[in-house]
Amino acid sequence: MPCNCMRYIPCLLTCVVSGLLSLSALAQENGKIKFGKVSKEEFTDKRFEKDTGAHAIVLSEIGSSAFEADGGDLRLVYKVHRRVKIVDKNGFDVATVRVPLYKGDTREEKLLNLKAAAYNLENGEVVETRMDSKNIFNDKQDKSLLVKKFTLPAVKEGTIIEYAYTVASPFYRYLRSWTFQGEYPRLWSEYSVAIPEYFDYMLIPQGYEKFAIEKKDYSRVTFSFRTERSGAAGPSDMVTVTPGVTTYHWAVKEIPAIHPESFITTVDNYVRKIEFQLSAYNWPNEARKPVQSSWEELMKDLMKTEDLGGVLNNNNGFLSGTVEDLVKGAKTDQEKAQRIYNWVRNNYTCTDHSALWMEKSLKTVFSGKSGNVVEVNVLLTAMLRKAGLKADPVLLSTRDNGYVYQFYPLLTRFNYMVVHLTIGEESHDLDASEPLMGFGKLPPVCYNGAARTIDEFATPVFLNADSLREQKFTSVLLGKIENGAVAGTFMQRPTYFESYDIREQIKAKGRDEYFKKIAKSYTGEIELTSKEIEDIDSLELPVMTKYEFKMQVGGDDIVYINPLMGEAYKSNPFTSMERKFPVEMTGVSDEIYSFNMDVPDGYVVDELPKSAIANFNETEGVFQYMVQQVEDHIQLRCRIKLTKANFMPEDYSGLREFYDLIVKKEAEQIVLKKKK
Amino acid sequence: MHNLLTTIAAVLLAVAARPAWAGDPEYPVKTIPAALKENAHIVKRLEETTIRINDLTDVRVNRHYVITVLDEAGANYAKLAVSYSKLSEILGISGSLYDAEGKQVKRLKQSDIKDLSAVDDGSLMTDERIKVHQFYYNVYPYTIEYEISERSYSTLSIPTWIPQSNSDCTVEQSTLKVTAPADFTLRFRSYLYNGEPVITTNRDTKTYAWEIKQIKALKPELNAVEFYRRTPAVFLGTTDFELDKYKGNSNSWKGLGTFFYQLNAGRDVLPDAAKAKVHELTDGLHSREEKIKTLYKFMQRNNRYISIQLGIGGWQTFDAASVATKGYGDCKALSNYMMALLKEAGIKSNCVFAKAGENAHTIREDFPSSQFNHAILCVPGEKDTTWLECTDPYLPAGYLGGFTDNRPVLLLDEKDSKLVRTPVYGMDCNQQIRHINATVDSSGNMMLSAIKVTSGLQQDDLRNAIHRLSREKQLEMLRKGLGLSSYDIVDYNYKELETATPAIEEMIKVKGNNYATVTGKRMFITPNIFARDGIKLELDTTRQSDIRLNMAYRDIDSVEIILPVGYKPESVPTPVSLSSKFGNYSASVLLKGNTVTYIRKMERQSGTFPAAEYPELVKFYGGIYRADRNRLVLVKE
Repeated sequence: MPCNCMRYIPCLLTCVVSGLLSLSALAQENGKIKFGKVSKEEFTDKRFEKDTGAHAIVLSEIGSSAFEADGGDLRLVYKVHRRVKIVDKNGFDVATVRVPLYKGDTREEKLLNLKAAAYNLENGEVVETRMDSKNIFNDKQDKSLLVKKFTLPAVKEGTIIEYAYTVASPFYRYLRSWTFQGEYPRLWSEYSVAIPEYFDYMLIPQGYEKFAIEKKDYSRVTFSFRTERSGAAGPSDMVTVTPGVTTYHWAVKEIPAIHPESFITTVDNYVRKIEFQLSAYNWPNEARKPVQSSWEELMKDLMKTEDLGGVLNNNNGFLSGTVEDLVKGAKTDQEKAQRIYNWVRNNYTCTDHSALWMEKSLKTVFSGKSGNVVEVNVLLTAMLRKAGLKADPVLLSTRDNGYVYQFYPLLTRFNYMVVHLTIGEESHDLDASEPLMGFGKLPPVCYNGAARTIDEFATPVFLNADSLREQKFTSVLLGKIENGAVAGTFMQRPTYFESYDIREQIKAKGRDEYFKKIAKSYTGEIELTSKEIEDIDSLELPVMTKYEFKMQVGGDDIVYINPLMGEAYKSNPFTSMERKFPVEMTGVSDEIYSFNMDVPDGYVVDELPKSAIANFNETEGVFQYMVQQVEDHIQLRCRIKLTKANFMPEDYSGLREFYDLIVKKEAEQIVLKKKK
Repeated sequence: MHNLLTTIAAVLLAVAARPAWAGDPEYPVKTIPAALKENAHIVKRLEETTIRINDLTDVRVNRHYVITVLDEAGANYAKLAVSYSKLSEILGISGSLYDAEGKQVKRLKQSDIKDLSAVDDGSLMTDERIKVHQFYYNVYPYTIEYEISERSYSTLSIPTWIPQSNSDCTVEQSTLKVTAPADFTLRFRSYLYNGEPVITTNRDTKTYAWEIKQIKALKPELNAVEFYRRTPAVFLGTTDFELDKYKGNSNSWKGLGTFFYQLNAGRDVLPDAAKAKVHELTDGLHSREEKIKTLYKFMQRNNRYISIQLGIGGWQTFDAASVATKGYGDCKALSNYMMALLKEAGIKSNCVFAKAGENAHTIREDFPSSQFNHAILCVPGEKDTTWLECTDPYLPAGYLGGFTDNRPVLLLDEKDSKLVRTPVYGMDCNQQIRHINATVDSSGNMMLSAIKVTSGLQQDDLRNAIHRLSREKQLEMLRKGLGLSSYDIVDYNYKELETATPAIEEMIKVKGNNYATVTGKRMFITPNIFARDGIKLELDTTRQSDIRLNMAYRDIDSVEIILPVGYKPESVPTPVSLSSKFGNYSASVLLKGNTVTYIRKMERQSGTFPAAEYPELVKFYGGIYRADRNRLVLVKE
């Protein structure tokens, strides 16, 4: 895992429930609220209003999760009580609340005890308007998700709204997480979780805002279960147990809002949050039954699970014919793998690029020619194995989905699958879900730290943006000036992922449109001829763009030419003055530009830009701008090279200045004058 | 006898047209004429739409179509999405997928159809749901076939026939058949359809048939007229109609307006407390204008836009009393509530249905039908009519903005419903006047301060931004939008001006890094700092659509730049003056001592211009594009 982010992941030692948690409860327990009791002072509280321009402020939010007896079983009870002040009209959105409820085949979550009210200060008095329960709507999204929606009445600028509800859930593997930070500032945000000794949950905290409360307490709680007498309709029995219960308690105080920024994996990586993962069952009189405790065990489980690795243990005979046809005549293992990969990539449509399970059988995926990213890449794995190759599925989390927590095997953090292929000493990472991706290439969103192979060692596969070199070469040759126009040739090998975008553009709109766009990107009038794109179908390689051009340079006596042509950085990519979070780019960039021209007949060089070299943080970035004139030949070589993809927030201003300098230098002109 | 014959013929035709589900190849790609592949991503091989109007509450629609998807860019059209609500029902969906040779690859399985909520982001709740299906196939070309049968319980709107669903869709063959009881009047309005429908009469029904073949692809055209005016289209309607037990007549705008009026009549009763509030606010005021303004502000302050459309709720408003207690409503509800407030103050007003949107200035005025998606309020006056947009909390009273300006709208009245036009905001109204003072130092860095006053339609977006965005976000907008290579905003401020036409004054102070390029002894500088808005258009000699320019405007920039001393001019742009039907443009640079003065004036007309004038538009914008980027070159003495 790259260390850049470590600072922001708190150094709270992660602990299995039975471990130790430092007690650091602070005295001031504000944030306590009672439904319906809103004081006049809350309307005038000015915290956060002045400088952030917040449209709403969460005055207090208190949540809890606890277990309750439910007939013969346990259920998880999640309670929320939230009080929000709406500062201006743009904060009205908080008055509309959506509560997602999940539904399984036989069991479902239920919304209980919903109360909601709005409070306005009228003539110095707090006036309450309760929401009528008729105004709760059921919006059934699909067969497994129902969203309950409501909006509060009498909402204006300055209104305080309040609501409280309970969700009773039979799915106790899904202990709800809590996010202490979001779009609006919060004066108080608190969550408590009470876990009976029957379960071990992993706590997974992230973010860097300090907790005002962080503690745990032990107590005994009585649960009364009702058990049906076997087969009969007679009276049921009551069984009472009194397990030990651990209650965890976290709260934050006066926490600012968090906003998205550019050049970042996802701002969610830096939000204060706590998540949970069931790690073991401790049923009375039974041995502790771990759910997962190590990466190796998790992966061993997944290798057996039918809707993931399990299908790879089957014979999958239905693949044989196709695989045999594909590899027929292939001389090397590499060639076999390439043929299979190309076939899957070209023939299968990925229906969802965020997935963790197979939803259909492998056979259905195979014959239906479509599947989610897991299904397509499991199919690829199965076919490669069918051809006798060593291939394993690899789970990862894409950049926008956040980092994978390395210290504990947390399956739900993953949302993507690729394939790791090993041929002798060499290995290749494959993704057949993107129709234009080359053999051995992964989309940039996959470069998000360590991925894990579904094998018995849970072998990590390091996919760091720092290891992704993105090189670009450009060469421009200028010729004669005639009738106020300069002729030249342009050749460029863009980076692999720029090439990927070009392939997509061409696929969608055609070559003509692509070159039209290039012509438009020049400020002056330009005419392009001999337009070519090479290697467009060699998906493993970057493309090569070539064209000849004639560009108007005007003015007969004096000609001004920017040697960078259309390739100059015209504006600084870092627009903000300051930065709170690290800068996280998708790869390590290295751009080389070369320019050659012979001074046209009848002209002399009046002025040339001067050569310059600049370094950023000594070796982390270099900008070279080297100009040379040998007799009538002018040569320029310009290079911008970074040595890493991620930078700390304190590097930001330096990085911005570095690009300012590049913008400035790359705007400089060559001046030619007509001989008198 | 005659009748019998046609019936037999129709039956035979129907049999012939029925798709065979297996065996022989279906719709092989090789039979598509070459002309229909040009510029196309999809080819509609066959489309048969039949509409059977049984009575005013029972309309059966059967759609059968076959589309060949030529490449990935057309893949979106292969998706099926059919919406339904309380007022309609999907009776059945079937489908098939064929490969390029026409071999059936897959048949639609009912379990693959997803039934999803279609509540849009702008609404809290509606009845709308959607059934979606997709074959997911990516070996191009391929062909999909769907047959959908639906029932509508209302005759307020009848489906429209536009065989060419998009400019990059071509059509081999498409038919529309509408069958209605013989005594029933079917109204229709067609565009670019040559001829009349073929009408056949049976004993108690009458069938209208339209057919079209071989429609080629259209090129996307900038500033074009509505798509339905560029391709064959037939709009349908009945004279009498029914909507959830309410009956109406849409033979005239008056009839349709009366229907909507009655549907909403009597819903303007305010609770006593609200009535008292109206009197408290307005009894002391003397002028009608003041009363309108005060009540409008009151409505804006105490209500917000929440859309709930259930059952007939798309057409019928919540009553005023519920808005008064809940403090929210949709466009109809808020307009109706505002109407009730005005009524209590003794001012008559009318709800108005409009087709809203910055690019929705026309409706089919000669074809009365439900073409609207928004409601506003009209307060007729002896001298001036006041228009109120009741869903926007920031607009000044009486100003509509680009969302509903300059278009025909339906005024709902008990006796005198009719189409009227909303106000036109002309060039003198939509202005942007800017003064810039800048100083450039010897290394090319610039300090500038600028004052910009924008008014009318030109300030709509800015008004939204200054109200809706936090200062942080406004700064972000300024950071992205100034078009300078690298700069910091030192200070900025917005002020809403108290003018008859809404106007906003923007003050900014900017530090521009390396604005001027210094190479050795020379300095290159573009005196037009902010107004670089010409565009490079492509010359299109086959332009078909008329050119529609929506907003007339005037931009004036005057820039003064103080340069470091010791430079003399080497190349000064010559003054540019362009004049065309579309407007006028002029720009000039004057260098006096070390002060550069740049004046730019752009006046753009609005209106509809013939397609043949397109080359002139290209030339006009191209000239502006170049002139806006002219540089001044200076040399150190």
